Amino acid sequence: MSARHDPQRRRDRPAERDEERRAFREEAESLVRITAAPTIWSGHFLLCYCAVAIACAKAGAVPGWLTGGLLAASVAALAAIGWVGWRAFRQWNVTDTGDFSNPEGEAEDRHEFLGHAAFLLAIISFIGVVYVTMPLLLVEGCR
Amino acid sequence: MSRRDDSPAAAGEHADERAPRGPYPPTEAMLAEPVPPELQAAQAERLRKAWETPKGWRYWSAVNNSEVGVWYSLTAFCFMLLAGLMALMIRVQLAVPENDAISADLFNQLFTMHGSAMMFLFAVPIFEAISILILPAMLGARDMPFPRLSAYGYWSFLIGGIFVMGSILFDVAPRAGWFMYPPLATEEKGPGSDIWLLGLSFIEIASIAAAVELIVGTLKCRPPGMRVNIMPLYAWYVMVVGGMILFAFPPLIAGDFLFELERSFDWPFFDPTRGGDPMLWQHLFWIFGHPEVYIVFLPSIAIAAMIVPTVARRPIVGYSWIVLSAVGTGFLSFGLWVHHMFTTGLPNISLGFFSAASEAVVIPTGIQLFAFAATLMVGRVRVNLPMLWIAGGLAIFTAGGLTGVMLAIAPFDFQAHDSYFVVAHLHYTLFGGMVFPVIAGVYYFYPFIAKKRLSDRLGKWAFWLIFVGFNLTFLPMHLTGLLGMPRRIYAYPAGLGWDWLNLLSSTAAFVIAAGFAVFLVDLLRPKSRQPQIARNPWEAGTLEWSHDVPEEAWGARSVPYITKRYPLWDQPKLVERMDAGRYYLGDAEEGFRETMITSVIDARPLQVQRVTGPTWKTHGAAIFTGGAFIFPTFHIYWPAILCGAIAVGFIIWWLWSDTARPPEKEMKDVGLGLSLPTYASGPKSVGWWAMWITMLGDATAFASVIFGFFFYWTASPDFPPPEALDPVAWLVGLAAAAMALAWALTRAARSLNRAGRLAAARGALAVAPAATLLGAGALIFSVLHMSPTAHVYPAIMWAIMVWVVVHSGVGAIMQLYCLAGSLAGKMTPRFDADIWNVALFWHFHALSALVACAVLGLAPMVLT
Amino acid sequence: MRLTGAATAAAAAALSLAGCAGRQSALSPGGADAAALGTLFWVMLGGAVLLWLAMNGMFFYVTRVNASAMPRRLANGMVIGGGIVLPTILLGALLGWGLSILPDQRQPDDGLTIRVHGEQWWWRVEYWPEGAAAPVVSANEIRLPVGERVGFRLDSDQVIHSFWIPSLGGKMDMFPGRETYVSLEAEAPGVYRGQCAEFCGESHAWMAFEAVAMPPDAFDAWLDAEAGAAAAPEGGAAERGAALFAREGCGACHAIRGTGHVGQVGPDLTHVGGRRSIGAGRLAATPEAFAAWITHTDSLKPGVRMPSYDHLSDADAAALAAYLAGLT
Repeated sequence: MSARHDPQRRRDRPAERDEERRAFREEAESLVRITAAPTIWSGHFLLCYCAVAIACAKAGAVPGWLTGGLLAASVAALAAIGWVGWRAFRQWNVTDTGDFSNPEGEAEDRHEFLGHAAFLLAIISFIGVVYVTMPLLLVEGCR
Repeated sequence: MSRRDDSPAAAGEHADERAPRGPYPPTEAMLAEPVPPELQAAQAERLRKAWETPKGWRYWSAVNNSEVGVWYSLTAFCFMLLAGLMALMIRVQLAVPENDAISADLFNQLFTMHGSAMMFLFAVPIFEAISILILPAMLGARDMPFPRLSAYGYWSFLIGGIFVMGSILFDVAPRAGWFMYPPLATEEKGPGSDIWLLGLSFIEIASIAAAVELIVGTLKCRPPGMRVNIMPLYAWYVMVVGGMILFAFPPLIAGDFLFELERSFDWPFFDPTRGGDPMLWQHLFWIFGHPEVYIVFLPSIAIAAMIVPTVARRPIVGYSWIVLSAVGTGFLSFGLWVHHMFTTGLPNISLGFFSAASEAVVIPTGIQLFAFAATLMVGRVRVNLPMLWIAGGLAIFTAGGLTGVMLAIAPFDFQAHDSYFVVAHLHYTLFGGMVFPVIAGVYYFYPFIAKKRLSDRLGKWAFWLIFVGFNLTFLPMHLTGLLGMPRRIYAYPAGLGWDWLNLLSSTAAFVIAAGFAVFLVDLLRPKSRQPQIARNPWEAGTLEWSHDVPEEAWGARSVPYITKRYPLWDQPKLVERMDAGRYYLGDAEEGFRETMITSVIDARPLQVQRVTGPTWKTHGAAIFTGGAFIFPTFHIYWPAILCGAIAVGFIIWWLWSDTARPPEKEMKDVGLGLSLPTYASGPKSVGWWAMWITMLGDATAFASVIFGFFFYWTASPDFPPPEALDPVAWLVGLAAAAMALAWALTRAARSLNRAGRLAAARGALAVAPAATLLGAGALIFSVLHMSPTAHVYPAIMWAIMVWVVVHSGVGAIMQLYCLAGSLAGKMTPRFDADIWNVALFWHFHALSALVACAVLGLAPMVLT
Repeated sequence: MRLTGAATAAAAAALSLAGCAGRQSALSPGGADAAALGTLFWVMLGGAVLLWLAMNGMFFYVTRVNASAMPRRLANGMVIGGGIVLPTILLGALLGWGLSILPDQRQPDDGLTIRVHGEQWWWRVEYWPEGAAAPVVSANEIRLPVGERVGFRLDSDQVIHSFWIPSLGGKMDMFPGRETYVSLEAEAPGVYRGQCAEFCGESHAWMAFEAVAMPPDAFDAWLDAEAGAAAAPEGGAAERGAALFAREGCGACHAIRGTGHVGQVGPDLTHVGGRRSIGAGRLAATPEAFAAWITHTDSLKPGVRMPSYDHLSDADAAALAAYLAGLT
């Protein structure tokens, strides 16, 4: 929305709709981007917990292939989070702007802020996945 | 009105005709232009009239956030004091060994009620109460988007709270612990467990309603220009906590649903002799229970995040870090629940995962504290009374956090679990992480709320009494626990080394009580002779301190255009221009209560929302909803059903008469040359967002019931039992088909109505309820031959059926509501918010019905 | 006043039972597991105290000592270092240690398992030496040989309980319809106290037991004796007590092997006089305590299923007590 909303300019509809749609897409995308890393953590966590719970309940043991598979899932999750974090870091763009806090009410600051928050969440999620992987390596069996 | 299809182009055309018009953002020149004084006065007079608080006994029909928020806070605070008195009685009984001051039975009621009341009647409601009270002001909004929903939530909370708390006076209070573990709680004689289940479910639903409103308020009611990167941190926390409530409470509600079915109808969900499993309750309870801890903690930290920058007199350091911390904690807190179940014999490796997640959550929690420290470090600190409370809270909370780190190590928890060590730990986290910051918030926001100040001297007295008393009470409990004293014992033998520790704890508990008494005196003493306070007494930078002194009911005189995180510090002339009505909505020409709706990320102005005013309909709805929950407590069902029907009637009346009515004009000049629509439907309307968010919670509850089904399959080797009867497959198939048809018709009705094909739309809306009822009927008959009391397998099938059938009933009422709206001219092709919201409900309902049919129809074949 | 008399007796009995403080303490380990967890605790406590002092010292410093503005760079460093780097390392190390000792308490036993079945509010106990076809049945007391890892197979009757001997190791919940397992190894002979740790109803407070760690030889001898039938105690009072036991119908609920009493509702009393406590750790097993228990059951353990035999005369109660105390 801008000054182009003047009534005499309303014929200019397709472009305007595009702009609105772009704005909406950006809203949706930034929500996805900021929650992507913790969502990957959640998925990995649930996968590990459910797989092991079912294996222990039904087979009484965690087979080696399952542990291996879950470790592979951990690596995949870490890679995915790393990728999300890298993209977020690019979006934050701190190396160019040198701006750590993005405190202005402008589109650019908002864009970089979301990148910053998503980047930090990726760090936390990364640590989370590493921690959750530790039991796979250190604890054996179902007892 | 074109008779075209519901193509994007057509929808777009409607959207365009109702698109905002005029310049945005406003230029400095526009803002600098003065408003003539006589116009200002006339505008203020009109606003005052529109927002006038009812007088006399009609006062209680108010729905404005500033009234409801105060009632809500005070009620929650009263429940806290009552729960605190119970704690004192508990401490009296435990002061000496072999004491018989209180009977075992009463003691069990007291500690059950102490925990339940503190959690459900104080900790969560006070967050919602304070947020309802201050969030709109922080966002420069006039009110919450759905004031009547807040009022309904409040009256439900009051009725439910009095009912639950009152039970102890009649010696029928719940007595199985606040966690209500079956089989102890299922086999409990008397109505205690039912009171807990139904009374608190009632309150949980009110909590979810408030959460929905707070989320929508944060997302859609921010002032123009307040993009997500400059919203007050409090708003971030509200959003995160609202989201957590949405995913944490539904599993408990699902658990309550199963539990009450067992209590009332003997369906054996938790009875191991008939295939049930008490562990399912523990899972559902703690999937709620651990996020709950953070639901309680985060809003209080949010208060600290508002106070700390004020004290440091500079913006918060690490805004993004705190956002990360809030969001990260929100996520991680859902991976901790099993640390309440470390001693239940789950596989070690499972414990390991939860141990790991429990340690991981420490990191975001710690980051917030370091961000505060960093802010204070770079600021020029001027300590005030609220900061004293925050500092005391942090000192206590860090201790609680560190014992939490210990408890998260599963082997150590094997020792400490269910001992007084845990009692000490949880009180350290909750006092430090919740009680102290909330009291800090009361001192900090009191000038905003009451336009008066509390006493510094009494405040310091209260602080030191509570702080010292607290540590003397709870620090020794760490040792008591390690010396082997379990929780929840009403008496103990002498000579185990616990005697003097308990005596110390009990004595010091009265010091805490004295501190609260001082605080209460300060709060309640008459202050009418106090001189008028300064408008921004703490010299804070956030928007709520632009409030009017003396008080005005309109919230913000005009809704400002915001470009800074601390607008009062960094946007010169902001308050002056707000007062002059220079910004948006500085007038109430039509005499309506109005607030701005803006876009989610960037807060572009989208719409003027007419919000509802004083009413008694919400009281009727709350009272009869209460009846529907309270009668079943005593196993009286017909009056309950009647109450439920009347409550539904009240709610329909309330919605019909006051929501989504076609406006008298479609566009409205809101000031600064901007013209905004007065009506919105679909994703642009707040109602649609509220429906979306509510259904997310509802879907979570349904998913929890389905989880129950698969839990039984995992936990038990003979589920489904070999000789069990299965649901009738063709009826399940019919149900699925009918539900899909009802969904398709509803969806089609939305498009047909939008396209102006009213007859077709009405036809679809008339057939849809029939299809809905057919589907519901088929589902009922598909399981009718199975006996739900015989085994948990038929019982869970029945429970899924009941869930879907009840939702189908609601769905059918909604379809008929839209049909009636269309016939009565309330819903037209242009003003179609109702059918959008109903269609959204049906997307969710159709999905859950199909999942239910898949479980009923396919799972028996797959799993056996 | 009879009640006061009984209460005094009970209090005296309870006192003599309590003995030294620390019998129920996780900080006075008598077993390998408790010792390991004790070490874990002390290390964590040390770390926690240091971190608490550092954190709050810093808050104190920036608000009270040096309230002026400090450099931004320092603050940023602190958020990154203190908020992420340091905790990630410390917590990771702690987690690794915790996980590595996690499986210890569920190690397989060395042969002897004890099946403990929770009731409201007492314990059924069965000793299953390796290869045994039938258990040695007892109640409300656990005896275990020193230096041997003993397995506990736990379940429960109606509600959830939790089995906990703090001086020997961590606790484990007991569920109806599901068996849980924990193993413990006592390292020093001694008498410890265990208690139910999961809230289990009205008298949850009075669901305890004595755990006696004995040298292996002594344990074997004790177990042999415990497996045998009761020896009828001698003496006039005790013999009258045996008759009263039958007359009052006690055998409907309690079993005494070697007599006709085979009730299974309440605790097995075959060797009740040889136990250190009665009423699931409620009172020391003295004749006075037996009399107090029989006549004031409900006030000593509210809600208990056993009725108070308060119609018994003092002499009858004493006789019954003499009989029971003689069942060693």
